[in-house]
Amino acid sequence: MAKILIPTPLRQYADKRDSVELAGSTVGEVLGALTAQFPDLKKQIFNDEGKLRSFVNVYLNDEDIRYLRRDATPVANGDTLSIVPSIAGGSTTIAEPPVTLSKDEILRYSRHLIMPEVGMDGQLKLKNAKVLLVGTGGLGAPLGLYLAAAGIGRIGLVDFDVVDLTNLQRQVIHGTKDVGRKKLDSAVDTMRDVNPNVRLDTYEVALSSENALEILSGYDIIIDGTDNFPTRYLVNDACVILQKPNVYGSIFRFEGQSTIFAYPGGPCYRCLYPEPPPPGLVPSCAEGGVLGILPGIIGLMQATEAVKLILGIGEPLVGRLVLYDALAMRFRELRLRRNPECPVCGDHPTITKLIDYQEFCGIPHQAEQAAAPGAGVIDPVEVKTKFDRGENFQLIDVRETHEWQICRIEGAKLIPLGELPKRVNELDSSVDLVAYCKMGGRSQKAIDFLKQAGFKKVKNMTGGILAWSDKVDPSVPKY
Amino acid sequence: MIKVDKPAWDVMVAHAESKFPNECCGAMIGRMDADTKQVTQAVPLENAYAGAQGARYELRPEDLLEADRRARAAGLDLIGIFHSHPDCDAYFSKTDLENSCPWYSFVVLSVKDGKFDHAASFLPNADQTAAEKEDLLWPKS
Repeated sequence: MAKILIPTPLRQYADKRDSVELAGSTVGEVLGALTAQFPDLKKQIFNDEGKLRSFVNVYLNDEDIRYLRRDATPVANGDTLSIVPSIAGGSTTIAEPPVTLSKDEILRYSRHLIMPEVGMDGQLKLKNAKVLLVGTGGLGAPLGLYLAAAGIGRIGLVDFDVVDLTNLQRQVIHGTKDVGRKKLDSAVDTMRDVNPNVRLDTYEVALSSENALEILSGYDIIIDGTDNFPTRYLVNDACVILQKPNVYGSIFRFEGQSTIFAYPGGPCYRCLYPEPPPPGLVPSCAEGGVLGILPGIIGLMQATEAVKLILGIGEPLVGRLVLYDALAMRFRELRLRRNPECPVCGDHPTITKLIDYQEFCGIPHQAEQAAAPGAGVIDPVEVKTKFDRGENFQLIDVRETHEWQICRIEGAKLIPLGELPKRVNELDSSVDLVAYCKMGGRSQKAIDFLKQAGFKKVKNMTGGILAWSDKVDPSVPKY
Repeated sequence: MIKVDKPAWDVMVAHAESKFPNECCGAMIGRMDADTKQVTQAVPLENAYAGAQGARYELRPEDLLEADRRARAAGLDLIGIFHSHPDCDAYFSKTDLENSCPWYSFVVLSVKDGKFDHAASFLPNADQTAAEKEDLLWPKS
């Protein structure tokens, strides 16, 4: 048995009772039992389609059921359900110019218009909507294409990168002819071609604590298509501060995830990950790889959620993290809850303005990096000189076997980073050791390990085999 | 008709004036019978609207739930919501209407130059498409 508290004005429809005890194992069943017993209450709480009226919130004890399992939320003996309206208002309304669709647009969007869930009202909502894409890479590519096609009125794009040949395996908004162009220019050309009715605003900057609030404030929905932790925390915190939904997605190798953060009452990224991982622990897509198709799936899940939020239909991906595994072809769902102790979106937030996210994520600033002593590192050109002089030293490749098969430096010995601890006895601590990987990250870890193991004469080759290809031997393919 | 007792009214006016030039909001608690609502207590609540609050307010449902609990604990009823219109008349705006609910009285206090000016009460319909004016009695002193 659960108790439902009846708001005063509704008691006239419930035999003047202020509360009713009803049986039911879920919120939906208890509400069903309530309206079965008091049919006049039904139209007060539910609309003609049988859904809760837009202003009606149902609380199970102290929790909004929207952030539990909605109608399917289990109800235990002794639980109390409350019906609470959402109320807001204000003395003025900002008059928005009436938006209409041209004859061409009506034809273009006809497959939307004939669905009652979208219809003319919905298409006008899409046209009125302002969506910001942070990043026009793997996730941003499908997002940009489909959101433009869907008729979003204004799309903002933030990126400062140029198109690289390695991008084209997944970033389908850019083409072979675009290699070397700014990603913004290439994305805008493609999106204009898809739908010239969309207003496109570009921001050729790295999103930062200085510019984020200003850029984000012009949009209704923010979509995070970034691939690094400082920007994710930055986008998250800015969205919480501005109270704008953050449609999140991330990809790695064969797996991806998506959810909506910073939706009123829902969790934020920090509720899920209060602290960033130590720098270097989580490999980037450039280090770990990514199945080219994967960002298509995850990016379009983000696009779907953005469109649903704009149309106000369906069940938003709030409080649920969808995990996708391409190899198993399985979707799983994790429940997420807002953490009342969260430093940003909690009941007593301690972070109320944007902070230094590089520092928060433990990443030294570029200036500090440059100022770091050069000890322990060696430039690829110097390594080449060592070879040319016939010096006695050991070059160690700490990449994986499948990377070794793509390219290698002649004369190097392959010991993948993970095997280093058990193969360390293959190394001679009396000769100079130089380690390299793809870009210099993993080899630094190898150096750190070797130093701890007592090796003194160890150096990390800066920039990895990519720098070797640039500076020493262009015949070594880059990947 | 809705009648506001002096202690409750003083709280409402003080809250509205203290939040000027922003909008304030709160809950009204009291008793209701067939044709009269009597407000005996006013509960100031935080304006939770995220942007500029000069012409907007938002009530947190959790705060309203708490106000309802207080009312029930005292053997009283939650009967209305109040908010202020800084430097603007006490009318029920389109924003007010679209974000209201049909169950409660909505009292609007007009505050001009930081001082209470006049007030009115409204009863929104079920579809939030229109609101009927309700007679409001407050202590004139």
